[in-house]
Order: sequence, then C-alpha cells, then structure tokens
Amino acid sequence: MKLRYYIARRLILLIPTLLGLTLIIFTVSHVGGNQRLLGEYINTHSKIPVSVQEQLLAERFHLNDPLVVQYFYWLAAFVQGNWGYTQTSIYSGTVLDAIKLFFPNTLILAVLASILTGLIGIPLGVWSAVRKDSVLDQTTRVVSFVGYSVPLYWLALLLIIVFSTSDVCSCLSILPIGGTATVSLIGGVDWYSGGISNPTHVLLIDSVIHGRFDILEDALMHLVLPVVTLTYGVMASVLRVMRSSMQDTLSQDYIRTARAKGLDEKTVINVHARRNALIPVATLLGYTIAWLLGGVVLVESVFNYLGIGYWTTQAILNGDVGGIMGATVIFGLTFIFANLAVDIAYGFLDPRIRH
Amino acid sequence: MIVGLRDIHERKDTKTPLSARLREYRLTLKILLESPSSTAGLVIVLAYAAVAVIDFTYPSLIGVQNAYSLVPDFMNSVPTPPVWPTHPFGTTFPGVDLYQAVMSAIRVDLWYSLLIVLAGAAAGTVVGVFAAYVGGYVDEVLMRFTDIFLSVPYLPFAIAVAFVLGRALDNISLALVIVWWPLYSRYAYGQALSLKENAYVEAARASGVGTWGIIFRHVIPNVLTPIFVQISLDLGTVVQVFAAMTFIGFASGNPLLPELGTLISNGFQYAVAAPWVIFFPGVAILIFAIGMNLLGDGLRDALDPRSRT
Repeated sequence: MKLRYYIARRLILLIPTLLGLTLIIFTVSHVGGNQRLLGEYINTHSKIPVSVQEQLLAERFHLNDPLVVQYFYWLAAFVQGNWGYTQTSIYSGTVLDAIKLFFPNTLILAVLASILTGLIGIPLGVWSAVRKDSVLDQTTRVVSFVGYSVPLYWLALLLIIVFSTSDVCSCLSILPIGGTATVSLIGGVDWYSGGISNPTHVLLIDSVIHGRFDILEDALMHLVLPVVTLTYGVMASVLRVMRSSMQDTLSQDYIRTARAKGLDEKTVINVHARRNALIPVATLLGYTIAWLLGGVVLVESVFNYLGIGYWTTQAILNGDVGGIMGATVIFGLTFIFANLAVDIAYGFLDPRIRH
Repeated sequence: MIVGLRDIHERKDTKTPLSARLREYRLTLKILLESPSSTAGLVIVLAYAAVAVIDFTYPSLIGVQNAYSLVPDFMNSVPTPPVWPTHPFGTTFPGVDLYQAVMSAIRVDLWYSLLIVLAGAAAGTVVGVFAAYVGGYVDEVLMRFTDIFLSVPYLPFAIAVAFVLGRALDNISLALVIVWWPLYSRYAYGQALSLKENAYVEAARASGVGTWGIIFRHVIPNVLTPIFVQISLDLGTVVQVFAAMTFIGFASGNPLLPELGTLISNGFQYAVAAPWVIFFPGVAILIFAIGMNLLGDGLRDALDPRSRT
C-alpha cells in the first residue's frame, strides 16, 4: 500500500473516533439531568419562579425531546463551536475562550516533556541495553522502576518541599515552586493580566514579542519543576521498553552478521540495531501520550500552573460542568490527533505497518 | 459401546487433576522465588495484604485504635514531628496520628483498587472474548464501542465520569472501572482471536457445546493467565490513580475517612512546614506500587512457557 493510501485510510478511521468522542461528551454532560445543565442560566434574583425559568429554558434548548434528537441539536451546536459556559474561580466565560487561554500553557508543558523524554529516554535505554548489568544499567533500571511507581503529584510536592527550604542551601531557592511567572516582575506589564498573557497566551513567546527577556527567563524558570516532574513520570516507561527492545534486537541474527562482516560496534548499534529497536517504543507512544496528559492534570494542579489541568481541578471543586466538559473535549482531541500523528509517522518509518 | 464426543467432553477425568495443577503452581512459585526482585515484590505485597487483613480483623495488633475513622484532636490540630514510640510517623491535620491513619488507609486503598481492577478485568475479558469468538458484525460493534472508550486519556475521562456521578469513593471506583475495562477488552480480544482457532475449541463446538459454554469453559480459562499477569501489573497503577483522584478533589464527603490521597490532600497546606504529613502516605503508595510492579514482572517471566522447561 502506498503511503498516501495509508494516510487516507487512517484519516477516514478518524471519523468514527471523533463521533465516539462526541458521544462521550454528550453523555457526560447530559447524564446529570437538566437542572445541572441549566444551573448557569437560571437567575435566582428574578421575579419569575425558578421552575418556570427551567421549563422555558428546557423548551428553548430542546431538553424535552428524546435523547437521540437532543444529541443532534447538541452536535450541531458543538460543531459550530458553541461549547457552553464555564464559571470557576480562575475564569468565567465561554468554554472555547477558556480553552484558547489555557491550552497553550498545557501544550508547552506537554511538548517540552515529550522532547526531553525522547532526548534522554531513548539514548539512555540504548546505552543501558548495550552495557547490560553495568552500574549505569542497574541505576537506570532502579530509576525507571521508581519512575512508573511514584505518584506524580506526590513527587511534585516533594520537589516543592525541597526547593522551598533555603536553610539547607540557599542555592535551592532559585527555582520558583509554583505559578507561571513571578508576580513582582510581571505586575505592571500591560500585556499580562489575571495569569494570561497576550497576544498568543504563551508567556514564552509573548515575552519575546514584547522584548522582555527577563520575563522570558523567569517563565522558563517556572517551567523547570513541572517539566522535570512530568518528564520523569513519562520517561520511565519509554526507558524500560527501549532497553528491553534494544536487548532483543542485539541478539538478532542480522546484528551478528553485521558484527561478523567487521562493522565497528558504533555502526552496528546506531545504524542496525537502534532503528529496529525503536519500533516497539513507537507502539507504546499512544499509551505514553495518555499517561502524559493524565500527568499534566496532576502536575499543573500541584504547581498552580495555569493550564487545562489546573482548570479541570478548579472545575471539580466548583462543580462546573462546562469546565469538565471542555477539558474532556480538548484532552480527547489532543489524544486522538497525537495518536494520528504517531500512526502516520509509524507507517512512514515501518513499511510493514501499511499492509 | 460407542463413546460420543459429548461423553468424552462431559467426563470429569478429562479435567486436569488437582495434583497436576498444584505442581504447576509450585513450579511458578519456584521460578518466582529464584529471582531476588520478584521475591522482594512478593514480600512487599504480602506485607501490605497482611496489614490490610489485620486492620480489618484485629486493628489493635498493629496499634490502630479505630480502623474506620481518623481520630482527630482538634485541640492540637497542627502537625507535630515524628516521636518514637507515641507517634512514629508524626501527626497530621487535624491532630491525627499519621501511623494509624496510614495503616488503615492502606486497607481502604487496597480494597478499592482490587475491586476496580477485578471488575474491570472481568467485564473487559468477557466483552473481548465474546467479540473475538463470535466475530463478524458483533465483533465490529463491540470493538468499535471499546475504541470509543479509549479515545479519551484515562485520567481526564475518569475525572469527567466521577464528576457526573458525584464525589464519593464508590463513584470514583465506578468511574475507574468504566475507564479501565476497555484495556482488558482489547487485551483479551487479542488473546482470544488466536485461541479460537485451536482444535479443542473446534472439538467442543462439534460436540454441541453452546457459544457461552465454549467461551466460559474453553476460551476464558485459557486467557486467564495473561490477564492475571496484567492484573498484577495494573494494581500498582490503579492504587496510584485512585489516590490521585481523591487528592485532586474527589475525596468523599467524610474528611475523617482514612485514605492515602485524602491524607496527602489534608496535609497539603502543611507540606512545607511539616514534610512528614505528605511523605509517609506517599511512601506507602510508592512502596506498594514498586512491590506490585516487581511481582507483576516476575509473574510474567515465571508464567512465560519459555522459562518453564
């Protein structure tokens, strides 16, 4: 099968998946009953009794129709970008606006953690397999084992404790332990308010646009602990699979052949073995992305990092349907499209997959 | 007398005799104990199980006064550091002895996690095996249905479901089962697809055993081993995720319920001034997860036919 047919097939398969996602969102938002859905539209100070208001609203939003009919009304609104309202202590407004504000921060966190995971996890896994049972290998194995057993939010809390104690060593207090920027530094800046920077909503980019490199440095410092925590949690499984897959590959016949014909060890490992050993890691990526997006929620909520995850935990505490729904939508979409990208890259790397 | 296929099928002695099965279990245990890391895992898991059982039956044996509720001391609600032997783990907000709290919490978390994994595995296995065995239209519908559940990352999905159901431990558990079963469904599906082509399945079908009979008596028993390994690997993860859910705000309405995530969440505001309040509950989760993962890895190796020759 040609690569473009493979991609086309994969894109068609996207349709049922996306419809499935909308079914989940619809169910989740409607199971709670009309009262919950209409909560934010009811005016308790109005002279019109609440029950009458509810009736009128239910009529207007087609909530008295059968669920199947409601689903299509809902889907039409959903496709048009009408995702309802959210009201939490950090943001009130439409769900779509909230996502526009919070998602860039989450994306930065997730992308940085993924890049670091790849940059550290893969070479370390290869190295660990090549030098099997060496001190480095043993250390790597213990570190990765602890990595996928440790509760991420707890690790985040430990880091906060360590980096907020200045009595051991003042060097520890250089890393900020929460938030996205230092209040005193960002206070009077006119393109920043309520934790949101303009115009891109990504502080790293906005600070460059406005030429404030001191704020860029500050924003980067604020990213260190969340990114480190997330990377550690995600890297553990990549490291483990990379190591075992590299070990399997190194015992294959074609590796022996490569060595027998006199290739140097570096070429054997880097050219012949590593590329093939990466295939099981690629199959693991979908799972890793799910783990990463789950980790984002926990890490953001502990570090008070203003992203989708923090918004989610605020929505839980405030009983806000819109926030929970919006977060599920955006996490679902990110997950689905990340998996799509992985599959296409996979088909590109390994011709066998296309059949 | 002609012996029909059905008669052979119904005869009791065609089943593996108990002694042979015992021999199998003993071999598994032997292979398991040959590896120091699996032995360590087994010891950790047994120790946690012992704590849970003792806490349930004779809590005073491990020094727990009240296994079902934290015992607050509102006069001294600020956490105090560990003191041997009165408060070996110190106290946490609101004046609760952390050692007793963690011991009882281990029972609660273990119980819920076990329930979640077993329910998820049971539901997923039945759906997956049924889809694989019946095939065709049923297969398509069931597996697409499973895929829908896999289209949202598990933690945000569990949060959404638990949010709808309401804040309570039972609801968190139900939410996690709803999120977890599709993994087992996919897994059992893959296993059953190859199993159903075996001659013994065909023989059972030829002798007139019904679909459900074949599924429950011939296919499911043969996917149980890999499923069991998966359960042991998942249990460490589920304990973490369950405590994470209670930590981020799904704690039950009862703030005095001993539960590890709730304990960390209770101590949250004191974390910097009194690190032990989050340290000990977290270590309890970490060690259990490590033990479970070590045991799971060991079981996978021990049950691998290649290691049993």
